[in-house]
Amino acid sequence: MQPTREKNATLADVLDRALNKGLLINADLIISVADIPLIGVNLKAAIAGMETMLEYGMMQDWDEALRAIARKKRGIIDEKEKITVLGEKNGRRTVSLLRSK
Amino acid sequence: MDVKTKEQGRYLYCVAEGNEQTRFGRIGIESNEVYTILSNGLCAVVHNCKAEAYYSKDEEKVKEWIKAHQNVIDKAQERFETVIPLSFDVIIKGKNASKEVANWLQAEKERLERNLEKVKGKQEFGVQISWDNKVIEKKLSEEKKEIKNLVKEIKKAPRGKAYFIKQKIKKELKGGMEKLADQKFKRFYLEIKKHCHDIKVEKNKRIEEKQMLMNLSCLTEKNKVQSLGRELDKINKLSGFSVRFTGPWPPYSFIT
Repeated sequence: MQPTREKNATLADVLDRALNKGLLINADLIISVADIPLIGVNLKAAIAGMETMLEYGMMQDWDEALRAIARKKRGIIDEKEKITVLGEKNGRRTVSLLRSK
Repeated sequence: MDVKTKEQGRYLYCVAEGNEQTRFGRIGIESNEVYTILSNGLCAVVHNCKAEAYYSKDEEKVKEWIKAHQNVIDKAQERFETVIPLSFDVIIKGKNASKEVANWLQAEKERLERNLEKVKGKQEFGVQISWDNKVIEKKLSEEKKEIKNLVKEIKKAPRGKAYFIKQKIKKELKGGMEKLADQKFKRFYLEIKKHCHDIKVEKNKRIEEKQMLMNLSCLTEKNKVQSLGRELDKINKLSGFSVRFTGPWPPYSFIT
């Protein structure tokens, strides 16, 4: 059997790898990367759908953090909106959460 | 507007060992010029961008970006042989973004070199083994004594009882399938492992009608790819089983 990289047949594999794997930047660096992984997450939501995110345990990670944030700042309704708030206000924590999945 | 004080970004594709300035041409995301930033024996493959992430609600556009991301990493891998792929959409920003990238390479040198050492001379492959539920169930009901007996019983049984026997068969089958899946997983895993340097067990996914039995990312030495392929051939030939073998991929799944 020969491995395939045929473009159409392996698009899902490319997306899965590029979105869910690979090196991420350490949150403790002086470089500001606050909004980057956040947008990555939004893209994941757009592409893979919520189901995949659940499957990868991403929302579980978010869930706890979101609750903590929500406890502090009430009145946020939409799930995605919550992620945005988290990312903008608390970028560093967002990165480490992503990494701990 | 004072350009000097404005933040810029460097989109990161991958990291490799190297001391040479390399230009890859306009092969990046949205045809950006791709080149290397060097620091002390390591280099980052990047393109210049704004200090903001690539984001679009247009799925097709995002797919094109990701294809370009992958393509650049492939090209870099051809050039450097061993690379550490970055996840999509990782951008370093700063007033002197190139310097920030060099600083980052320096700060993360130990971790990056450890990863490079680990994946050197190896490639990642995706191995997904599925089985056709119906074929396997049929085989199981022909082979398993308990089920065979129940099937015989059902023919003689009155209608009410037949229903309960049917439920019993279903339960037996379900249990049998689970046990079999477990056995097969262990057997295949051990056989595949012989040809791999490292294996990551990924979550199973549903593909079409088939049930995925195992989803692996395999880090394999280049000279073992053939033998891995032969091993998978054996599994692929088993009745009811099918194997999907993809790659070679950059070692996305083995970066720590």
